[in-house]
Amino acid sequence: MTDALVPAWSEPFSAAARDRLTRLPPLETIDRDWAFGGATGRGVRVAILDSGLESDHPALHGRVAESVAVELDKAGEPHVVADDHGDLFGHGTACGGIILGLAPEAELVSVRVLGSDLRGKGPAFAAGLEWALEHGVRVANLSLSSKSEAMFGVFHELADAAYFRNVLLVCAANNVPGPSYPSLFSSVLSVAAHDEPDPWRFYYNPSPPVEFGAWGVDVPIAWRDGGMTVATGNSFAAPHMAGLAALLASKHPGLTPFEAKAILAAVADNPRR
Amino acid sequence: MTTPTPDPAELQVLRAAARRASIARRLQGDPETALLQSIVDATVTLFDAEAASIAIFERDPDRLEFRVAAGEQGAGAIGLSVAPSKGIAGFVFSTGQPLALSDVTSDPRFDRKTAERTGYVPRSIAAVPLVEQHGRGTVGVLQLLDKRSSPTFSLRDMELLGVFAAQAAAAIHATRIQRDLDELLHQALGRLAGDELDAAAIEAIVSAATDGLDPDEESPFWTLVDRLARLQSLGERELGLVGDLLEVLVRYAAPTRRRA
Repeated sequence: MTDALVPAWSEPFSAAARDRLTRLPPLETIDRDWAFGGATGRGVRVAILDSGLESDHPALHGRVAESVAVELDKAGEPHVVADDHGDLFGHGTACGGIILGLAPEAELVSVRVLGSDLRGKGPAFAAGLEWALEHGVRVANLSLSSKSEAMFGVFHELADAAYFRNVLLVCAANNVPGPSYPSLFSSVLSVAAHDEPDPWRFYYNPSPPVEFGAWGVDVPIAWRDGGMTVATGNSFAAPHMAGLAALLASKHPGLTPFEAKAILAAVADNPRR
Repeated sequence: MTTPTPDPAELQVLRAAARRASIARRLQGDPETALLQSIVDATVTLFDAEAASIAIFERDPDRLEFRVAAGEQGAGAIGLSVAPSKGIAGFVFSTGQPLALSDVTSDPRFDRKTAERTGYVPRSIAAVPLVEQHGRGTVGVLQLLDKRSSPTFSLRDMELLGVFAAQAAAAIHATRIQRDLDELLHQALGRLAGDELDAAAIEAIVSAATDGLDPDEESPFWTLVDRLARLQSLGERELGLVGDLLEVLVRYAAPTRRRA
């Protein structure tokens, strides 16, 4: 039998390797300055799975690196193609603007999964997420979710793939009961709205499934055709957490999703225990 | 060509199902519209808003059709259809994410054309998806225009609107089951008969099953059903009493029928 067939799960813990298993500083010494201080999001690719991005919108100040769209062929098979349709609704641009408001030098990748064909939106969304995982993004903002029970397995697998590749999936929680994937999975950062008008203010909730609360009420947002408006929804809370995640990832490149969540929980605005 | 007949026992079950569905339809009138209307009425009153409306997703062509509306500025929306890929209702429908926008008229993306068709252009709008719990996913959108007391919507507003949306989704689910029964009967008959029955023959069997109820709208049977429908507003005790009286009549009728 060759060595390649033996799962080497213990290898990282062998005498030769375990010195490389570095750990976080003690949580009580971690503060916001340690987490985000001086970070700009530089070097971090953030995917926005949404309605597209209006790349010349002033709020996105030239930070859109790539735009793709998922299209379904006649057989319902999804294909990822280059996209020059901008933003069909304005919603993706709103999320991008919020992220850049916190992490101005992050690089945005638009993955448009909303389009005119509604028949295959679950599979299109999954294909877009899979594409993002394969194209070097570090954070993905998902201000949408699939309500289809049939998509459970597909999204579960993608959420695990993201977790193992150190990609932080930041998902808007859905207030509507019933399936909502991947926002209900434990590995993602699931976010709901609070109403304090401060993009830096966020809370950790120790009672999942929704683990984080960020600003999502009366948020001034970028909207289509270079416009601005004011909006409310968990959709706008998620990109606040995605922006903070981008800052964290740019300052501490090797962090795993597990560590990132622990740090965010440690520096949240909750009262100290 | 002789029309092959499905198994008599199975056909019997299907006939019974068709009969029950017809009677239920007659008893309940159009419960979907009535329930949805009561939901938008309650929504507009509770929020003190200019308008509330519900749009339902329909296919061929794909569209969101405004079925019911309430409020001083609501009436113009009824019957309008919008593309499910457009506007705020379309976005909420496609993503399943509740959303509120204020100052929408200054938002260039706002579908002014649709708003003008309704005769009313709002300043603020909140929309939540109608999500069916078992299988169908998002089936429509509940929309609220211009809360009078505030230019924006709070978290509580959004949650409350979500509760109304859940009610609407449940109402749609319940009545769709009934509406789908005819289709189901066709499918079941088609399967029972294999390839031997064509569509017209299946249609003939289904209508034979339902028509067996007495096609005459004025027949004593339907008059009785209509009377029963009016009893629905009664309380539990009164309904119990009516049930007891009917039971006595049924017992009386049974030997009478044998004698006949």
